[in-house]
Amino acid sequence: MQEFLTIGFLTTFLSAAVRTGMPLVCAAVGEDTSEKAGIINVGLEAVMIAGAFSGFVAAFLTNSLALGFLCGMAGGVAVSLLHAFLAVYLRQDQNVSGVALNLLVTGITSYLYLLIVNRYGMPQVETLPALPIPGLCRIPVLGEALFNRDLVTYLLYVVIAALVFFYRRTAWGMSLCAVGENPRAADTVGLPVYRIQYLAAAFNGLMAGLGGAYLILGQLGVFYENITAGRGYIALAVVVFGRRRPLGILLAALFFGAADALQFRLQALGVALPTQLFTSLPYILTVLSLLLVAKRNTDPAWLGKPYVRSRR
Amino acid sequence: MKKLIFPCVAVVSTLLVGALLVVIAGASPLLAAQYFLYGILGNLNGFVEILVKATPLMFLGLGVAVAFRTGFFNIGGEGQLYMGALAAAMVTLLLPGVPGAVRVLLAIAASFAAGGLWAFLPAYLKNRLGISETVNTIMFNYIATMFVGISIRGFLQDPADYLPQSARIEEAASLPLLLRPTRLHLGFFLALLAVAVVWFIMQRTTVGFELRISGSNARGAACMGIPVRRSLLLSAVISGGLAGLAGMSELLGVQHRLLENLSGGNGYTAILIALMARNHPLGVVLVSLGFAALQVGAATMQRQMGIPNAIVSILTGFIVLLILCQGLAEIRRERRKERLG
Repeated sequence: MQEFLTIGFLTTFLSAAVRTGMPLVCAAVGEDTSEKAGIINVGLEAVMIAGAFSGFVAAFLTNSLALGFLCGMAGGVAVSLLHAFLAVYLRQDQNVSGVALNLLVTGITSYLYLLIVNRYGMPQVETLPALPIPGLCRIPVLGEALFNRDLVTYLLYVVIAALVFFYRRTAWGMSLCAVGENPRAADTVGLPVYRIQYLAAAFNGLMAGLGGAYLILGQLGVFYENITAGRGYIALAVVVFGRRRPLGILLAALFFGAADALQFRLQALGVALPTQLFTSLPYILTVLSLLLVAKRNTDPAWLGKPYVRSRR
Repeated sequence: MKKLIFPCVAVVSTLLVGALLVVIAGASPLLAAQYFLYGILGNLNGFVEILVKATPLMFLGLGVAVAFRTGFFNIGGEGQLYMGALAAAMVTLLLPGVPGAVRVLLAIAASFAAGGLWAFLPAYLKNRLGISETVNTIMFNYIATMFVGISIRGFLQDPADYLPQSARIEEAASLPLLLRPTRLHLGFFLALLAVAVVWFIMQRTTVGFELRISGSNARGAACMGIPVRRSLLLSAVISGGLAGLAGMSELLGVQHRLLENLSGGNGYTAILIALMARNHPLGVVLVSLGFAALQVGAATMQRQMGIPNAIVSILTGFIVLLILCQGLAEIRRERRKERLG
């Protein structure tokens, strides 16, 4: 057990926790915004894998990471808006449409990926380089984990700070929450309910697409079938576990990242338990985390229900 | 006339998407169609294979339909299938002294119980603590896969082999084959029987009425004195139990070994099957047969032309999108009126 207590271990462990937590943070803050506007996207997995795939392909074909990230976000927005169209305009059951999108998009990405493999072999891309912030990255233990990261991670810090401000201090943030709590009231005071819902869904697609793209372009460098492996679903739980607050979500996602990092290290140390137990740890923790916050329901009142303007 | 427009549009556009995907793969759509049809109609083996592939889909789709009707969004069929298969494997492999037929009967009961338990837990959590079943049932899928993975590398591993799989289940303790040399087994008829039983329970008994009314109008049901929460638990157990039977049938009828990829995603496909069948048991049979034909035909296209069989999921998802968009015309009309009025 000596290995656990060294500074070096703690540093790499925290660093890995932040690293694996980042895609979850992206997807979860996006989903949180969408849910605040009343739209729950169970197809978050589809949004993430669309972002991952389109980002990967764009980066591979153009050799540009920036284009990769842009295409990844665009792919995410496309899927998320499709979900919003089904939910808002067609008033379909949001669970059903999310599940259908998951199947459709996972199928499309697997299909196209196999065709790409047939043509180019196993494609790989360079991943985003680290960009240590001078000074801050020298802070013992935490500096390495938080400030020796890449551009996207820093951007995410800014996004989270902006969201905290947005929900607490701006009228727009309030309007967004009003739509998810009571769309009728929001409509009565003249808020464009549907437009706000579409915007929230687009933001969700942007962030979850970024999360998917970051998974590939920031960390793995390769794509394979079903690469997101349930991260979209875990992100749904992160939203609830983080109590629907940007900072809470950040911490919840980091907790999952830490669990993942820990399971890798325990495996490397040769702890005599089946490997499957370690790799399933995030899923088990997801169930436990939902149990933990179960009694304190923070769902927006109108979550998942279609708002029909002409019916009273 | 109007009723026919949507199905026609759906069939034509699905065929077009299929053709487009084949073209993207650099193959000829006509040749692909030929192989597709040859695969399902060209010989007895292929045709019977449809029934074999439809068997787990029927069990799973039926299970999902029951749960949906009662308002339990069970997307954990995949995990319930694995728990059922695991229980069936334990019964058939770990009781070598017991006669084969008895072991099969025990396996059927055990798989139903294990699958039912795996759906009961998220349903109980929903009832008691208000935890949404959507995320939980999915997580239970991963956890069930973990249990299978650990078992076939541990106490169930084939002692004669290094592969992560169980020993072969002998023929005496399997579901009998019915039409050699094809793979048709008793499971198909068990699935039909399950459809009949579920249809009877749901449509002709008081319990079935309570299940349906709890799903369609929970508040009204509660006012009538119907135990809505208990209905939810019951439908979850039936639903998971049916998925468990799918696992048993795949194990004892087709694979004869517990494997990591026993289901191959059928648990997710079943959700869409129930949706297309409008949660009706007989509809589930027809839609399952249709999907099985799609799977068998696509498998032939993959073997002969190298077209990835992910094409099945794409077409499935596409058809569901079409169904979800079915109300488009009507909603547009309504919106126009709204703007004028």
